[in-house]
Amino acid sequence: MQLAQVILNGLLLGGLYAAMAAGFSLVWGVLNIINIAQGSAVVLGSYVAYFAWRYAGLNPLLAVALAGPLLFGAGWVLQRFLIQRVIAAPVLITLVFTFGMDLILNNSMISLFTADYRKIEGVFPTVPLSLGSLTLPVDRLLAAAAGIGAAFALHVYLHKSRLGRAIVAVRMDRQTAELMGVRVEIIYATTFGLGLAMAGVAGCLLAAIFPTSPLNSAYYLHIAFVACVLGGLGSVLGAVAGGLLLGVVESLGALFVGAEYGTTVAAVVLLLMLFTRPQGLLGRAGYE
Amino acid sequence: MQRRTVLMGMAAAVVAPAIVRAQGSDELRIGAPLPLTGPLAPEGQKQKRGYDLWVKEVEGAGGFEIGGHRVPVRIIYSDYQSATPRAVQACDQLVTQQRVHALFSPFGSGAAKASSSIAERYRVPMIAPTASSREVYDQGFKYLFGTFTPNETLTEPLGNMVMAAAPAIRRVAIFSRNDLLPLALSAEMKKSAVKRGLEIVFDEKFAIGSLDFASALTQMRSADPEWVFVGGYVNDLVQVRTQMRDLGLKPQVLTMIAGPAYEEFTQALHRAAENISSAAWWHPAVRYEGADIFGKTENFVQKFLATYSALPDYIEASAAAAGAILQLAARKSGSLEGPALRDALASLDAMTFYGPISFGPTGQIEKLVPPVFQIQGGRPIVLAPTSIAQGDFRLGIT
Repeated sequence: MQLAQVILNGLLLGGLYAAMAAGFSLVWGVLNIINIAQGSAVVLGSYVAYFAWRYAGLNPLLAVALAGPLLFGAGWVLQRFLIQRVIAAPVLITLVFTFGMDLILNNSMISLFTADYRKIEGVFPTVPLSLGSLTLPVDRLLAAAAGIGAAFALHVYLHKSRLGRAIVAVRMDRQTAELMGVRVEIIYATTFGLGLAMAGVAGCLLAAIFPTSPLNSAYYLHIAFVACVLGGLGSVLGAVAGGLLLGVVESLGALFVGAEYGTTVAAVVLLLMLFTRPQGLLGRAGYE
Repeated sequence: MQRRTVLMGMAAAVVAPAIVRAQGSDELRIGAPLPLTGPLAPEGQKQKRGYDLWVKEVEGAGGFEIGGHRVPVRIIYSDYQSATPRAVQACDQLVTQQRVHALFSPFGSGAAKASSSIAERYRVPMIAPTASSREVYDQGFKYLFGTFTPNETLTEPLGNMVMAAAPAIRRVAIFSRNDLLPLALSAEMKKSAVKRGLEIVFDEKFAIGSLDFASALTQMRSADPEWVFVGGYVNDLVQVRTQMRDLGLKPQVLTMIAGPAYEEFTQALHRAAENISSAAWWHPAVRYEGADIFGKTENFVQKFLATYSALPDYIEASAAAAGAILQLAARKSGSLEGPALRDALASLDAMTFYGPISFGPTGQIEKLVPPVFQIQGGRPIVLAPTSIAQGDFRLGIT
């Protein structure tokens, strides 16, 4: 029963990881940009939720309606007018560019909000739900469900909407998509906007459970990166699978190896995955 | 050429401390690196409040008396953002660039230990108001002095109290932040438990910066402990307690160090803080009649209350005591020179509002008796020593 509870804990954590990784994976897959600023964008989303709760009493799960569009707009503008200038450069240049963006964003948040931890309190029932002998904390259950729901919504949008299909087309073959009349620069801006919007959504969900501080950004980036590689680059469903797998692996690692080694075990699993199935769980072999 | 360079370097290394110490005495400058932002910010802000109150008191008395003169006091703060390597850099800069006469150490045992080598190198006395681990003081340093007694002085009275209240308790779980003070506290807790014939059914560490403890707490719940001991700082402890509640983990006794003494701990947890037991090096209920600038403990508490509209906790008291102790030592030495000030600190034997002050051969305070307390009705209630007890130990958590 302990094992079942630990796996359940991992799945609940994995739901949040899925939301963090989905946007990161999309941007990496379509634009071939490893967005180092993704962790800081998640933290920015958490601050939106925190201040919306603090000053307007807004539930952090509802704050996604605020943080998502805000970060989408910021991402769209950033890509269209700045990142677009270096999009054709080798991946190292865009990597350094987003690293610089991360430094600016993270230090701005430290300067504006300080590095202190802030926590949303008193929004969810403190008595956990019981499922037989299993315990389900209400806040985690709702946040994890919302995280997976947001990732699935993104997946559906990409496959059902006209703009979404264009994004998938650019991801599969940019030149052909361009010849078919797709405006690639607009698709890039939209994709980057969607990536940051997902970061904002994930930030709101995380703020419902964990305290918020700019110091969390490196940890969140690490999670997004590992979940994305585990699940497969560019695949939103892969990011969900990667996030859930990472959550469960961390929890089992903490159980069987020790509480402080959860992330180490996850890193070992990542290495094993890279050796045995480099395209990830749901990624496509040969895709760049 | 190379040999000359090496010789010049060696000469510079020998002369540097002397140059650094060639400071004017128109004011007393004290360097205080603090974690004013970051995960340790609550603790850093407390240390600062203690220092600031002491400075205010000294200014009110017309300045810091040294060799028959009164000079103003200036504490030069440096925010190291809760990152220990930056604390060490800050200490170095404070000594070499700001030419401080003394240092108040960064927060906690880990950072105090790391930065104490700077004080030793430049022969600048360092008072550590928040470092208790023996490992900080067993380095053979002569310029480091600490106002916290060793960690076993906290866990031993707790052990006595719990066993007296619930003699049937047998199963203990220990969960600790992987950091110098929490690990040292946990090691002492383990010794205290084993000494009383208790069984350690869970003993795990968590990484610094961890946010999720669910897996470890699930494992702890399966071990069915009757007494849970958690070592960490206020942000960790609030998270661990919240997640214990989420998982329905309810031991008979829950002990947490260091954090429950702070107001923000009870404010963050509300009812979940009830009956959490702890121990600290000082409490506003203690009563001493000091020869220092604050005099009686009641006087210090009143002044703190008037300035900050809150009761002081042990960090704030210890930080203010660091200033008061430095003042007593300077009065004795009549000089702000590092070695003279150091000798005066080493031989100090005085009563202060904080408690009796005398330092052992390693520089760590002796004689002080730390009180044990429990959160009852939303505030810490002293349970031991019996001379200042305000209530009785209660079992169970919500």
